[in-house]
Amino acid sequence: MDTTVHAQGAPAAQTAHGKRIGDTLLKVENISLSFGGVRALTNISFEIRKHEILAIIGPNGAGKSSMLNVINGFYHPQEGRITYKGETRKRMRPHRAAAQGIARTFQNIALFKGMSTLDNVMTGRLLKMKQPFWMQALYWGPAQREETVHREFCERIIDFLEIQHIRKTPVGRLPYGLQKRVELARALAAEPELLLLDEPMAGMNVEEKEDMCRFILDVNEEFGTTIALIEHDMGVVMDISDRVVVLDYGRKLADGTPDEVRTNPDVIAAYLGESH
Amino acid sequence: MTGMLYELTIGPFVAMAEFPLFFIEVLVGGLLSGVMYSLVALGFVLIFKASGVFNFAQGAMVLFAALFFAGFMDMGMPVLVALVLTIGVMVLLAYSIERVVLRPLVNQPHIILFMATIGITFFIDGLGQQIWGSGIRSIEIGLPKQPINFGEVQINAFDIISAFAAGLLVAGLALFFQYTRIGRALRAVADDHQAALSVGIPLQTIWVIVWTVAGIVALVAGIIWGSKLGVQFSLAMVALKALPVLILGGFTSIPGAIIGGLIIGAGEKLGEVYWGTALGGGIEEWFAYMLALGFLLFRPQGLFGEKIIERV
Amino acid sequence: MIYREAGQFKTSYAADQAIFPIRQDRIGVALILLVAFFGVPFAANDYFLSTIFLPFLVFSLAALGLNILTGYCGQLSLGTGGFMATGAFAAYKFATAFPDMHIVFVLICAGLATAGVGMLFGLPSLRIKGFYLAVATLAAQFFLIWLFVKVPWFTNYSPSGVISAPPMKLWGDVWVTGTGATAATRYLFCLSVVAVLAMLAKNMVRSSIGREWMAIRDMDIAAEIIGIRPLRTKLIAFGVSSFYCGIAGALWAFCYTGSVEPGAFEISRSFQILFMVIIGGLGSIVGCFLGAAFIILLPIFLSNAPALVGLSISVATVSHMEAMVFGALIIFFLVVEPHGLARLWQIAKEKLRLWPFPH
Repeated sequence: MDTTVHAQGAPAAQTAHGKRIGDTLLKVENISLSFGGVRALTNISFEIRKHEILAIIGPNGAGKSSMLNVINGFYHPQEGRITYKGETRKRMRPHRAAAQGIARTFQNIALFKGMSTLDNVMTGRLLKMKQPFWMQALYWGPAQREETVHREFCERIIDFLEIQHIRKTPVGRLPYGLQKRVELARALAAEPELLLLDEPMAGMNVEEKEDMCRFILDVNEEFGTTIALIEHDMGVVMDISDRVVVLDYGRKLADGTPDEVRTNPDVIAAYLGESH
Repeated sequence: MTGMLYELTIGPFVAMAEFPLFFIEVLVGGLLSGVMYSLVALGFVLIFKASGVFNFAQGAMVLFAALFFAGFMDMGMPVLVALVLTIGVMVLLAYSIERVVLRPLVNQPHIILFMATIGITFFIDGLGQQIWGSGIRSIEIGLPKQPINFGEVQINAFDIISAFAAGLLVAGLALFFQYTRIGRALRAVADDHQAALSVGIPLQTIWVIVWTVAGIVALVAGIIWGSKLGVQFSLAMVALKALPVLILGGFTSIPGAIIGGLIIGAGEKLGEVYWGTALGGGIEEWFAYMLALGFLLFRPQGLFGEKIIERV
Repeated sequence: MIYREAGQFKTSYAADQAIFPIRQDRIGVALILLVAFFGVPFAANDYFLSTIFLPFLVFSLAALGLNILTGYCGQLSLGTGGFMATGAFAAYKFATAFPDMHIVFVLICAGLATAGVGMLFGLPSLRIKGFYLAVATLAAQFFLIWLFVKVPWFTNYSPSGVISAPPMKLWGDVWVTGTGATAATRYLFCLSVVAVLAMLAKNMVRSSIGREWMAIRDMDIAAEIIGIRPLRTKLIAFGVSSFYCGIAGALWAFCYTGSVEPGAFEISRSFQILFMVIIGGLGSIVGCFLGAAFIILLPIFLSNAPALVGLSISVATVSHMEAMVFGALIIFFLVVEPHGLARLWQIAKEKLRLWPFPH
């Protein structure tokens, strides 16, 4: 069964090395964020290019999640600008971010525990479902057709992430690893151009991590989705990312390919202490 | 139409200015009845601070305590004995609530606990009335009821004494929280259940203590309310008014409960006296709630409460 | 074995999304509707129809309304009584101002008017949640009842303050309100209204709007981040919920009691409907009916059961026992099965998959 869905005419890529990285999709400039007296981010600038996989790494408390929250509009920075798809603004609004193709997963899983897997994934399609509620009450004609069409799309994603067997289970009852996969499915259901993943592999064992890596690479290759992920596992980071941004105490330490970053003395100092 | 407009906007203030002494009388009367609201709200705050449970049954506890106290006294016991016995009953109630309701529901979302307290309300309403009947009882503990004259202003002696008693209670509670070991433990539990558990504070004992203290506060409120109005079922419904008090004062602040109660009490009385005729009377039925609603829209955490920041 | 789903394959998503995908469910519902429409009016006498079946229908409708708001969308409301009163009085005003308006339109207009009021009182929900919102709905409850008592325009300046619902007919000689209406006609009319509205509700909760409501209930912050607009979703919930409660109130006044009085919609009514929703199951359409049935049958059971075992209990005791049993049951359900009777029913069905086989 052909499950390739072409997002906005993006070409299907072959391998990670032969991948065509496009121009800038999102750029953050001089972002500073504080909560009360606590500085979470100071003067951060970097960019994310189309079709690439960017890893954001750094020790705990470096501000990585805050950075993602700024990108999708949940936190509003005190200084700086965000440019997304050519539009520059001082702050994102969550609804606009979602409408413009930014989707994300969360560190502590933000699934709707009272609903089944399928329903959760279907909520990812909400922005594309246009029928008014009273037509849905009648569940006839256009409303029913819309429901079926989007159900089909979600089922393809469910197939893709191999969670068919739990599609009717309330997600509150699923084990942690599966919940993370359902959250990814929900994010994918929105057909995002930019996918933000906050520690997608936290708490997983080796097998689960390999599965997740495979899914992330597949999403990037088949759908051309640009991915920014926060990750602690260095092996994963070196393997799958095209570029890496390193944060520490709210500041950017380095920005470059995995190899460049790995040999950067500041990064080494931050992670391992001063090396002699 | 203009007459109505005048009566609603300018008229009341003119009336207040024209008869300032009457205004003061109404104001003071309102403040003093506000003290009673504060007492009920106090019980709420105690429980909410210590366990995060919004105890809808606080009003029913007031009635419950008052029923037992009145009942014991009607059986011929002296005041002190009745008091001690009723406190005993409230301890028993606190213990049962902790065991039957709080413990099984310990990790449930707050809305579930809130609805459970609604269940408690109905249960102790039925139980109290089953044991003591639904007739109106009066509480006579020898407090004076006649008005005293301060110059040309008449104020009820009873109200003054009850305000004084409430003040003593609040001061006592404040000292309890600040300076005793149990008080500190209660504050720790209010801050963070998990952390409190991890330093060895026995959560369940704390809850029994908190609900007992709330029960005693309810008893004091019940004696005062009951002496003034008679012990009857409507007492529990009147306690619904404590909710707007909490909105105004913030759910976690003792001074907030006091001040909120005073504002609601004064506001209600003033509203009824000065705006009541223009609007047909009965303002007291909804004034407190509308005021709370207004507050909710502009300052949801109340005057003294803490602002809640949500994290993802 | 009765409830065996094996062998029922769906070959299209549309079939899987049907309102009753399992054949046994379809048969069951068809049977219930058959009995309800054709069996009950003939078998039951007027007394049963008027005092049990009619209030059951009206309560179920109000419970549907509250469940949409509180069970599906997670917005706790203690104003149900006030909204029912709004519907009753709105229906009265429409019926008397436009005497030729057909009763179905009167009901719809009353529902829409109540929806408007409901959305107005739902506006605060953007900024406040949980118990705070409950207090706001209390404001609605007390204010609305006060309004209907004090403002004589609502009772058309009636001197006695007691107003009866005007007689209205469906067609020809079929009266559904007023003295000319038989218990059976009133029952069938209400049954039809409730059946239609229940189906609409079921459709809504399994479509996107239902998912949006549940998302707001489960984690409103995440809901906002995936693009749900909280105010719009909550207002629709308030609107739809009040629509249902308004019609329930109108039916209460017009078909059940025959008179429009605010006293029927006091705060105790709000609590009663809330209990139905809790006991029946938050977030369940079937639960509304189960909860309503439970609350209606319980007092009857309590007043008759002691006689069956030979005890005689005074009337006062019965009402106290009612309060105690209600309270205890609320706590019991919240502790044991927060999803109420509906979940117990689901569990029973799952057991029926295998019964009579043990494994």
